Amino acid sequence: MRSRQKELLELLDKSGADLYALLTRLTLREEVAEELMQELFIKLNNSRGFGKIANWNAYARRSAINLAFDWRRSQKQTVLALGQVAEPVSNDDSPLGKLIHSEELQETLDAVGRLKKASREVLIMRYLQQKSYDNIAEKLGKTSHQVRALCSRAIRNLRDILGSNEHKSSKKEIHNVTNR
Amino acid sequence: MSQIDENQIHDRLKRLSQVEPGQEATNRAMQKVRNAITGEQTIPKLRLRLPHFFVKLAAAAVLMIGAGFVGGRLSAPEPLYMQQLQATLESSLKSSLEPVIRRQLQDEIDNRLQLAFAANNNTLKRELAQQVRRDMETYANQTLTAVSNLTDQRLIEFARMIEAARIKERQRVAAAFDYMGSRFGDGLVTLAARRDNLWDAERVGPAPDISEN
Repeated sequence: MRSRQKELLELLDKSGADLYALLTRLTLREEVAEELMQELFIKLNNSRGFGKIANWNAYARRSAINLAFDWRRSQKQTVLALGQVAEPVSNDDSPLGKLIHSEELQETLDAVGRLKKASREVLIMRYLQQKSYDNIAEKLGKTSHQVRALCSRAIRNLRDILGSNEHKSSKKEIHNVTNR
Repeated sequence: MSQIDENQIHDRLKRLSQVEPGQEATNRAMQKVRNAITGEQTIPKLRLRLPHFFVKLAAAAVLMIGAGFVGGRLSAPEPLYMQQLQATLESSLKSSLEPVIRRQLQDEIDNRLQLAFAANNNTLKRELAQQVRRDMETYANQTLTAVSNLTDQRLIEFARMIEAARIKERQRVAAAFDYMGSRFGDGLVTLAARRDNLWDAERVGPAPDISEN
């Protein structure tokens, strides 16, 4: 029990900040990231196959990504009251810019959540965590070439998903206009 | 099908990668996790290390408190007209407090709304003006491009028509020249024939006058 605690604390010191930043990017809400971070470490602490996990960093990162996208899915199903909606993290000051940027980022994250797990992880490591292809390849036990191919495929899939979303929304708008 | 290009996706992902939590929030989150990890470990150990004597003592204390509570409840006089008193108090409090609370709440909401509107009004105006300007610029650019394209197209059509007219003109002139050439040739032939006739007539001389004989 003590060794598990020690390992978790080491993991927290080593990758805690990165994991928290990743959760913030995936949820766009600091307070939610904080909750999910706590949940992540409680899950890690209670995991049964503790001794079998070889790479704690990778396991924690994967769990964090899954937690974040589970949260996003659950948010989609919950209708929030106006007062419960918190300000998203944004660097733009203008309200309109904030709204547009936030919408775009949320849409992109939702599309990322619809990718396959392997593609999603590689895409997040490459583009959200800004890691090099070699670094990702080393962490995932793949070749750099495979990682590049995965990234490229993930971007293509993302474009298709976003494109189909836009197509659907534009069709809906046209339908609304004709109904009027 | 896809109207969004890869550059836009890269741009959005880049923006996402630039989202950074504050240092204070990071420290707070890490501290919370640290507390959760260490707290979860210490609580069960404390419970395990409790001596048996304390457990017995705690159980006895609970029993005594429970007995005292039951005895007190049984020996206490029954509350009289409790419901009526409660109803009276409720109605009097309601009648006295409700209008005041309602008014204060309304005032507060009004104040907040006014403040919020005042703060957002200028920003929204500016945003709207910028948006309208951007839209107008886009519209002007599109119109200019369209007009330019149309003018080019008309000029090309005009040039083609002039070229066609020139070709037709040349064909007519060529036909006229051909006609004139053929007429000129016929005239020359006729002239040559008549001249030959005249020459023949001059060489032979005037016909003898046989009318005197």
